[in-house]
Order: sequence, then C-alpha cells, then structure tokens
Amino acid sequence: MATLTLKQLKKQYPNGYKALHGIDLDFGEGELIVIVGPSGCGKSTLLRTLAGLEDISEGDLEINGKRVNDLEPAERDIAMVFQNYALYPHMSVFDNMAYGLRNRRTPKDEIQQRVSEAAELLGLTELLDRRPKQLSGGQRQRVAMGRAIVRKPQVFLFDEPLSNLDAKLRVQMRLEIRRLQKRLKVTSVYVTHDQTEAMTLADRLVVMNEGHVEQFGTPMALYDKPASKFVAGFIGSPAMNFLDATLEDASEGSGQDATLALPCGARLALRPETTVIDTVINNTLTLGIRPEHLDVLETDSPLPKGAAELNVQVELVEPLGADTLAYCRLAGQTEPLVVRLDGEHVVAEDQQLRLAITPARAHLFGADGRRLTTCS
Amino acid sequence: MAHFNRHPITPWLLMAPQLIIVGVFFFWPAFQAIEQAFYIEDAFGLSREFTGLTNFISVLSEPEYLETLWTTMVFSFSVALGAMALALGMAVLADRVIRGANTYKTFLIWPYAVAPAVAGVLWLFLFDPTLGILPELLSAIGIDWNHNLNGNQALLLVVLASIWKQMSYNFVFFLAGLQAIPKSLLEAAAMDRAGPWRRFWTITFPLLSPTSFFLLVMNVVYAFFETFGTIDATTSGGPGGSTRTLVYKVYEDGFVGQDLGSSAAQSVLLMVIVGVLTLIQFKYVEKKVQY
Ligand SMILES: Nc1ncnc2c1ncn2[C@@H]1O[C@H](COP(=O)(O)OP(=O)(O)O)[C@@H](O)[C@H]1O
Ligand SMILES: [Mg+2]
Repeated sequence: MATLTLKQLKKQYPNGYKALHGIDLDFGEGELIVIVGPSGCGKSTLLRTLAGLEDISEGDLEINGKRVNDLEPAERDIAMVFQNYALYPHMSVFDNMAYGLRNRRTPKDEIQQRVSEAAELLGLTELLDRRPKQLSGGQRQRVAMGRAIVRKPQVFLFDEPLSNLDAKLRVQMRLEIRRLQKRLKVTSVYVTHDQTEAMTLADRLVVMNEGHVEQFGTPMALYDKPASKFVAGFIGSPAMNFLDATLEDASEGSGQDATLALPCGARLALRPETTVIDTVINNTLTLGIRPEHLDVLETDSPLPKGAAELNVQVELVEPLGADTLAYCRLAGQTEPLVVRLDGEHVVAEDQQLRLAITPARAHLFGADGRRLTTCS
Repeated sequence: MAHFNRHPITPWLLMAPQLIIVGVFFFWPAFQAIEQAFYIEDAFGLSREFTGLTNFISVLSEPEYLETLWTTMVFSFSVALGAMALALGMAVLADRVIRGANTYKTFLIWPYAVAPAVAGVLWLFLFDPTLGILPELLSAIGIDWNHNLNGNQALLLVVLASIWKQMSYNFVFFLAGLQAIPKSLLEAAAMDRAGPWRRFWTITFPLLSPTSFFLLVMNVVYAFFETFGTIDATTSGGPGGSTRTLVYKVYEDGFVGQDLGSSAAQSVLLMVIVGVLTLIQFKYVEKKVQY
C-alpha cells in the first residue's frame, strides 16, 4: 500500500513533443484511480512515467512521500499490466508468474506457494504448465494480472488491460479486477479510454485531455458537476446535449435571477456566480443537459416552476429495452437533441414532444469551455 | 470472374527456366561427380576404369584427408560462432541507436557486398609481415606475426577474414530478429527486476533462438563452401596445409593434381558431411528453439 503524489509533472519526448503539461495529482492508500481520456491524450505516457519506463522531464513523483524520479523501474516496487499483456512467450504460465520472484532470489518454496496462491485466486491452477500461445485472450489477461499480484507490489498499474477482449468478457473482467483490488487493497492506477469502464471501476477518476488534467474526483462528482464542457461530454452515456445560449438581463450584484435565452425561443431562469456575470453577459454560452434529465411533459400538464419548455420533433427512436433513446430536432439547433425515456414510454418517429429543462439539472459553460455556474 | 485455361503443361512451362538452371548447374554436375567417384581415369583423360569404392577407401585412409577434415571443423565452427557472436553484439548495439541508425546499418552491411577474394586480400595487406600495420602493432606487445610461416596464425587470418565477410549477413538477420521482439516484453522484465544483462539472457536471447538456429546452419554451410575465394586469395591453403579446408582440397587434388577420381570422391563425402551436419542441427537444436 502506498500513496502517490505527482507535482507539476511534465513530459517532453526526445523528438520535442510535449505530452504532459504539468500534472498535479494525489492518490491515497489503497485507492483505485482510473485515468480516462480520448486516445492520444497522454494516459499511457503518464502511466509509463509512474512506472519509470519514461523519464520525467520536469516536476516530481513521490511514492509514500519519497521522491522517486531517479529510481529505475525495478526499484520502485510497482507492477504493471500491459495492454498486449507482454507475457514471455517462451515460458510457461508458472514461469511467467515466477520470473519477477526469481529475479529477487526469492526462495523456491516461497515462489511455489505465492504462484499457486495467485493461480488459485485467478482460476489458473489448471493452466500453469501451458505456454501463453495456448491460452485464450481472457486467460492471458489473468496471467498478466497474476504476474503482477505474486510480487505483492506497492502499486499496480494497468494500461487498457481489457481493450483486447470481447464485450462480455470485458464486463466480467472489470468486475473481477474491482473485486481483486478491493481484496488486495493495493493502490492502483488504471488507464482506459472507455468512460463506462472508468465510471464503474474508479474510486476516483482523472479525466485527461491533451496532456492536461481536466478534472479529478469521484465518478459521481464528475457526473454531477463536470468542471468543463469536455468532461461533461466525456462522462455519461449517451453524451450530454449542448445548446447555444445567451445570458440576458441580469441586474449586477442584486442577486436577481439572470435569464438564459435559447435560440429556439425558450428562456430559463438561472443564477450564475455573481463574480463572473460581467464577463459573460450577452456572450454566447453553452447550456448542457443530459439525455436522462430532459423530462417529457404530457400534452396538457403544466410546466414545473422555473423550468423551460422545449418543443421538439422525434426523428429517430432507439429502443434499448430498459430505456429508449429518442433523437429529436429542436429549432435553431443542428445537432439532434438526445432524450432518454423509460423503456415503457412509447414514442413514434415524427411525433412532437414537450420537454422540460429544470435549472437544477442544467450545466452552463463559458466560451472557454469552463463551468460557469453551480446551477442552484 | 476471369477464366484461366488450366492446361496440364502450363505449370511445367512456367517452372521450366528454374528447373533447367537447377538441372544444368546443380544436378548434372552432382551426378557427374558421383559417377566419377567410382572410376579411375588415366593421366590423359582418354580412358577410365570402374573401380568401385577404391577412391573412397584411398581418400579416407589418407592421413592428410583426416587432417583437412579436422582443420575444416575448427575453421568452420570458429567462423560460424565468431561471426554470429560479433554480429549479435553489433545488432544489439545498433538496435539501441536511435539517431543515425540507418548510417550505422549501411556501414555494417557493406562487407557483404565485397567479393570473397577482395576481402581476403584486404586482410592479407593488413596482416602482411613486411607491409601491414597490424604485425607492427603486434610486435610492440611481443607477438611475432608471420602467417607465411606460422600455421596457426595463418588459420587465424583466414578465420578473421571469413568472419568479417559473413558478419553483415548475420547482422541483418539478428537486427530484424531483435526488432521483432516487442518492446513491452523487455519493459515487463525490467519491472520484474531483471537488469540489462539478465534481460538479454532470459528474454532476448531465447526469443532470438529461431534466428540463431537458421544462422548456424547458414554459417556452417558458408564456412564449408563459400570461403574458398577468401582462402585461395589469402593463404592458398598454406603454410603446409594448415588452412586447407575440404573444399580447398577438392580443388587442389582435382584441378591442380588432376586426380579427378579422388577429387570426385571427396566431393561426394563433402556432400554427405554437410548433409549429416544439417540433419544433426535440425534434429537436436531445432527442438529446443520452438516456443
Ligand atoms: N515515444 C514517443 N515519442 C514521441 N511522441 C510520443 C511517444 N509516445 C507517445 N507519443 C505521443 O504522445 C501523445 C500521447 O500518447 P499516449 O500517452 O500513448 O496517449 P494515450 O495512451 O492517451 O492514447 C501522442 O500524441 C503520441 O503521439
Ligand atoms: Mg495508450
């Protein structure tokens, strides 16, 4: 168990490319941290600098408060599960798992015991004599995890460990990794580009974009209060809807509600933080609303207090069983508006829908993509 | 779908050029040699007499032949192991170079384009007892170099020249083999606490074993047959037969000594020896290299 601290960590590759621009993060003992972001945003780079496989260009990395920038990978007491598993093809499953222990001159009977324990835990006991090429994808994945587990390291690193598995196995292994991590209580950093995987696994989540940390927090904190438009669009599935909006008629400092005008003519009473009002008044802003937070109103039911009404036309319906997704057209908006309905709610294509946005569910982002309001 | 006329003769026509070349330049001479090995020809080549195994018996009972066989073994394994070890070392170094890697590789591949006789002459000049640079340097550390008189030194000289020539070939294959090993395997081993030396011997080297095996076969064949030009240009088998290999002896007895029957019998024996060596390598070494 260990804590990990990153202070203004920067990485520039020898070819001059800057992959990380000053990362500040703090991971607690036994936490399962997931780093998520689009492909090419620097997730693997970050993980590899933690492992010691890439040099740190600037800044500090601390394990248990001790600076480890200059330690070799072997001296950091970290184990890593690689995306392609990186199993030694010429060794049996047993030897793959025992390799790290043999390198530290662990006594033979202890090796035997630790490997069979790990094999038991992962259901690999029958396969110990096989070579990696005689295993299925899921089994190879387990061996890669077993190799990390037997060493009892301070930190586990996972680089997209499930991306080569089929969808069903992925869900199963995801649960298993979570269960194992909770049982072993080893601080773990897990990289993925799959936001569902990230949400379901993480104790805390790091969203990365172009070498920056966009936000760091619990999955629900990120879902409820995304710090930027990028996080808002990345976390949650289907993705958040974004609408252009203009802020009007706020009386400065008076604490009165400002009004948000949408291109379709709807108006929404919102109270942004007073300090930012000056800079955003009459500017184009972005209103974000999640598909599951758009409420469908019956034809004659009244609009809830403070809510704005949107009249849309259903263009496409995707029934998923438990839920139904309706892709709708809203005047003044090019992108379709996605609405998540209860599976029992019957909608037909071309049907008109009355939708309500409540201010508490709305997110407001400035022109720079930063979150503007706490949306009371 | 296009329609192809599948006349039974077409494949044969397409293969004919290759078959003719192999037939004329390989099978026919080989058959001639085998036939010749069972005859003794008179000095003028006018008549010949079937003598059964006489040629073989006389070759094998000749002490000089057994000496040559021994020289060939020493020579071949020195060349094969030396050329492979050096090439592997260079390939490992070149694999780590990032900047200017192509320049390095080009220079390292160059010796392969040099004709064997030219390679021999090059080394001959370097080591020439009166003109060369190296004997002068060697005398400074107390070594008296003269491969015209000292048989061991002569053997060392042809071994060096042959290694130098073959190293490029091995280098190309080892480099390709190294680059085919996924980087993540070595990274995983590094995280598993294996130092560079241990990583090389427990991961890289075993994973290169198919390449090494292939090169071992190719290098032994090279040392047996293709070093003729190097030897002929450098030492001509001397002094006193100390650099005479089996192939060189075939040439000496056949073309210089005009003893065609004996020469042919030696060719046949040579074919058998190489065949057996290759079989042994396949049977015992290849089993270990599969994973
Ligand atoms: N060895 C390298 N040299 C130069 N640039 C690199 C190197 N490795 C990765 N990069 C670049 O760094 C960026 C981040 O890469 P990476 O960390 O692999 O992204 P991710 O894992 O998030 O997909 C990419 O733009 C990639 O092209
Ligand atoms: Mg990656």
